Amino acid sequence: MDFESLSGDLHRLRDLALAEIAKAADPAALDQLQIQYLGKKGDLTAVLRGIGALPPEDRPRVGAVANEIGEAVKTALAERGSELRSVVQAQRLVAEKADVTLPGRTVPRGTLHPIPETVAAITEVFGQFGFVVYEGPEVEDDLTNFQMLNIAPDHPARDLWDTLYVDIPGHLLRTHTSPGQIRVMQSTRPPIRALLPGRCFRYEAVDASHGFEFFQVEGLMVDEGTSMADLKGLLDEFAHALFGPRKTRFRPGYYPFTEPSVAFDVECVVCGGVGCPACSKTGWMTILGAGMVHPVVLQYGGIDPERYQGFAFGMGVERIANLRHAVPDLRYYLENDLRFLEQFR
Amino acid sequence: MRVPLSWLREYVDVQLSPEQLAERLTLLGMEVKGVERWGADWRSVVVGELLTVEKHPYADRLHLTTVNVGSGEPLHIVCGAHNIAPGQRVPVALAGAVLPGGRRIERTEKMGIASEGMLCSGDELHITSDAEGILILPPATPLGRDLSELYGDAVLDVDVKPNRGDALCLVGLAREVAAVTGAAIRWPEISVEEVGDPVSDRLRVEVREPELCTRFVGRWVSGAKIGPSPDWVQMRLQAAGMRPVSNVVDASNYVMLELGKPTHTFNGAAVKDGTIIVRLALLGERLETLDHVERELTPDTLIIADASGPIGIAGIMGGFDSEITDATTEIAIESAVFDPVSIRRTGHQYSLRSEASLRFEKGQEFRLARIGADRVAQLTLAWAGGALSKGRVDTAPTEPAAARIAFRPARVSKLLGAEISVDEQRTLLRRVGVETELASSGTRIQVSGAPKPLVVDPGSERTVVAIVPTWRRDLDIEMDLAEEVARVRGYETTPAHLPDTLMPAYRPSPLGVRELVRQTLAGAGLSEVVTHALVSPLDEARLPWPDDAGEPALPASLAAQSGHEIVVTNPLSVQHSVLRRHLGASLLDVLSLNERQGRSDVGIFEIGKRYARVAGRPREWTRLAILLTGAAEPAAWNRAARPYDLDDAKGIVELLCRRLGLAEPSYVPDTRGFPFHPGRALLVRQESGAEAVAGRLAELHPDAVAAWDLRAQRVIVAEVALAGLDVAAPLRVHVEPLPRFPEVERDLAVIVAESRTAAEVQSTIERHGGVLLRRVRLFDLYRGTPLAADEKSLAYRLVLGAKDRTLTEPEVDSAIEEVRNGLETDIGAHLRT
Ligand SMILES: [Zn+2]
Repeated sequence: MDFESLSGDLHRLRDLALAEIAKAADPAALDQLQIQYLGKKGDLTAVLRGIGALPPEDRPRVGAVANEIGEAVKTALAERGSELRSVVQAQRLVAEKADVTLPGRTVPRGTLHPIPETVAAITEVFGQFGFVVYEGPEVEDDLTNFQMLNIAPDHPARDLWDTLYVDIPGHLLRTHTSPGQIRVMQSTRPPIRALLPGRCFRYEAVDASHGFEFFQVEGLMVDEGTSMADLKGLLDEFAHALFGPRKTRFRPGYYPFTEPSVAFDVECVVCGGVGCPACSKTGWMTILGAGMVHPVVLQYGGIDPERYQGFAFGMGVERIANLRHAVPDLRYYLENDLRFLEQFR
Repeated sequence: MRVPLSWLREYVDVQLSPEQLAERLTLLGMEVKGVERWGADWRSVVVGELLTVEKHPYADRLHLTTVNVGSGEPLHIVCGAHNIAPGQRVPVALAGAVLPGGRRIERTEKMGIASEGMLCSGDELHITSDAEGILILPPATPLGRDLSELYGDAVLDVDVKPNRGDALCLVGLAREVAAVTGAAIRWPEISVEEVGDPVSDRLRVEVREPELCTRFVGRWVSGAKIGPSPDWVQMRLQAAGMRPVSNVVDASNYVMLELGKPTHTFNGAAVKDGTIIVRLALLGERLETLDHVERELTPDTLIIADASGPIGIAGIMGGFDSEITDATTEIAIESAVFDPVSIRRTGHQYSLRSEASLRFEKGQEFRLARIGADRVAQLTLAWAGGALSKGRVDTAPTEPAAARIAFRPARVSKLLGAEISVDEQRTLLRRVGVETELASSGTRIQVSGAPKPLVVDPGSERTVVAIVPTWRRDLDIEMDLAEEVARVRGYETTPAHLPDTLMPAYRPSPLGVRELVRQTLAGAGLSEVVTHALVSPLDEARLPWPDDAGEPALPASLAAQSGHEIVVTNPLSVQHSVLRRHLGASLLDVLSLNERQGRSDVGIFEIGKRYARVAGRPREWTRLAILLTGAAEPAAWNRAARPYDLDDAKGIVELLCRRLGLAEPSYVPDTRGFPFHPGRALLVRQESGAEAVAGRLAELHPDAVAAWDLRAQRVIVAEVALAGLDVAAPLRVHVEPLPRFPEVERDLAVIVAESRTAAEVQSTIERHGGVLLRRVRLFDLYRGTPLAADEKSLAYRLVLGAKDRTLTEPEVDSAIEEVRNGLETDIGAHLRT
């Protein structure tokens, strides 16, 4: 055995290996070829076994050739492997083709009821102006619901609040959120900016625009110089926030617990002020009642009317929700037909 | 109040269109709810002239007429009335006409003879109350003209606020119009000719309750002739919404609408001895009122009586026996002032509220008693003839002077937030009849009235005194004048200004936690509902939800106290007559409604209140209620359906605890049975003394499902108390430092008897896990071979670790060994390997 013949064997081995690698059809065949040529018992090792028969001065030269050939086979294996993998991957990707137009897997999503949602919208607006939320009891006492609000037991205005009474002496189901004014004033000192959302009750037959249970949000602001102009400014912001840039107007209203009393109108959200059946052809829609807190009420709240003045307002949540969502029937709210609720997704 | 514009114009000039006037009045606080075109519902009704009137050949009661309607051939019309004659002008409804109430007139045949229209009575046109005869029009009425053009009117529907009783009449509203337009008021000219004997010969009045009847003015007319009032009067009353009755009764009603003064007219002959006594009813006294109802009077009822007994309920309704009839000739006129509270109570008590009592309830101007009596007498004489006795009976002839109210114009400006000069304020007040003068020294300011009066010394502040007309009984304190200034100036002139005063202190919102819960649950696929707080008393029987208070497993701080149902004493219906003590039934109602709409998959929640009477006081608690039934995940092309079960409810509660930063909840079986499935009900609470979650989760007992008539097979219902639902609670997450040394996981398959609960196994593991055990999580539950029939295997993953070192194998092994021993000795478990 001499250097030339061994070198020749190695080169033939290389040519054979490269040819077989080029023909390999899949990664498994490549793995096989790797073992066959480069493994411990592989062909390259077998050829190199003949190295011991060479003269010592030739051995490094053969070693160099063997390394070179080994590297060439490795490189060929790697290249062919990478080639084959991309083919396999391409085949897999083709096989995995999906109909992407199929609908997705539904993620369960519930709905939020328009009443609390509207309360949240209202409190969000006034919250930006520093109004904080309080709550009062729904089973209220007559004193706070009426008398402290300047509505004596036989006041003719009591007709405005048909009342449901309960079997606890001196108590009733609050007819409005206004008694909360008294509770807030009694529990804190000016400056007061308070909101009182909640459920109210009236003795009222149910139809498309009336119910015996409904929701209100009351507002109260008291400070040394709080004026009707502040009331107008805030209510304008509120109306614009909820109904967009529309004209608004104040006109006189009547509540025993405010003086002066105000009705707050917004340009009709249906016709934009031209006049339509929804606004009784006036072009205006009343969205809430308000006024300057009556001195009798301030005093029941423990506040000196000579030093402080303030305003209160109260709005029907359903009324606001009706206007925002064009809900045609008040009964929808407490009926909870999912076909209605699911429109608020 | 219905205000015919033509009638209003008698007292004030109106140049504005009805719609313009409506808007101006609305802006002045006299809200016009609508403008009705009176007579608008007459269509194709024209003025005709009767040419011939002949007997119908086949019917005695009918006439054949020919009528000239101004154009075309004369019409042949069959008519049943007897008051017609050739030459008269009458209203003719042409074929195709529509009368009030939608009645259509067509060509007809009556007894074989064609009729090409109809002659109309006043009643058919709703002009007068006469249904017998045809309405005969004045001879000069233009032929062929549309009747609605001639007699139509605009009628404003004005919502007069309860404090403005003075405006509940034509003259009162004319005053408001004058305030708007600056026009002058034309007061009705009230004058009477007294020709008879002195009234004292006819009528004596004795008021025994001067507190309840502060003034009684009486007048007497003899020899009146009862009949219909003039057509124009009837038309006015009809347009204003009152039915004409007879000339004398109409006179009384006319004055009520004109001046706002309710009066009553008696058949004088029926007043025994001509003596009227105003007193309280005696026990057992009875009265048949004008509406033919025999009423038992209670002793707190103020009545008008004569010597023989009651003849009327004061201010509310007269008696039948003293009613004016066609035969009446002697008329007693009552014009009184009654206590508003007494009238209101009595009206409620007898469920009798009339136009008159509504006005009495709002309080009456004292002066009007005299003026009203004179006006009724004047109109009675004009419309029914007779002779008026000299003078009036008057129990309180002294009339109070105008009230004087001091106010500080600067305060008015400050309240309104608009600088309005003193002169302008005085000018504005003058437009509503309030004269002003500068205050003399020592004038005091009424800042607040009863029941919390406050009078202050204005000091050096400029003060004006308002002299208030006697009819403005609503003006009382300084701020009333501020409202008057604002009203006349126009509320629409109020400037808009954002508050620039001090802000209030921070206050956490009680809605905060509720908002988190709502958003979380909607995100978890549930729909929010809001249901009635008032429910049926039967709900408690159909779904006897247990009391939390009697449940030692629940924390006392959150468990509602037991108490009694709060009952509405005047419910609208029994379905809504008690305040609910639990929310479950409300959600079942929602399920029932939606099942009727064909829905079977329902996952809903409500954050609402439950109520109870505890120790005589009302109590309210906010709770979260959940109902799950049908498919949690409906079948789709890429997923099989999965039904809701109790685990979903638990998972929701666990999700909320995580979201709210609360410790994980733990569960205690509740085996009570009805209304719950005895094997699928539990109490939810927290270990380790935390008291932030408490409640019940259960699958309903089949009998309970049946009681609600539901199609659903399984219904899961929960009611849970959560910290922060009622009172704002701060949410605070405490962070554990990240472990610096690796944690070790070990899985244990624990085989226990079927009767052991998962909670028992888990707490046993936790108890014996020692300081190294960080977390335990159940990840598998297995029953079947090779386990015995009464066994189950629960597989837990234990995570162990230490803060200061990496655990060694022997440490971990010994900790696991400890757990294994504990499981064996405490609950007889063994480990599957
Ligand atoms: Zn409109």
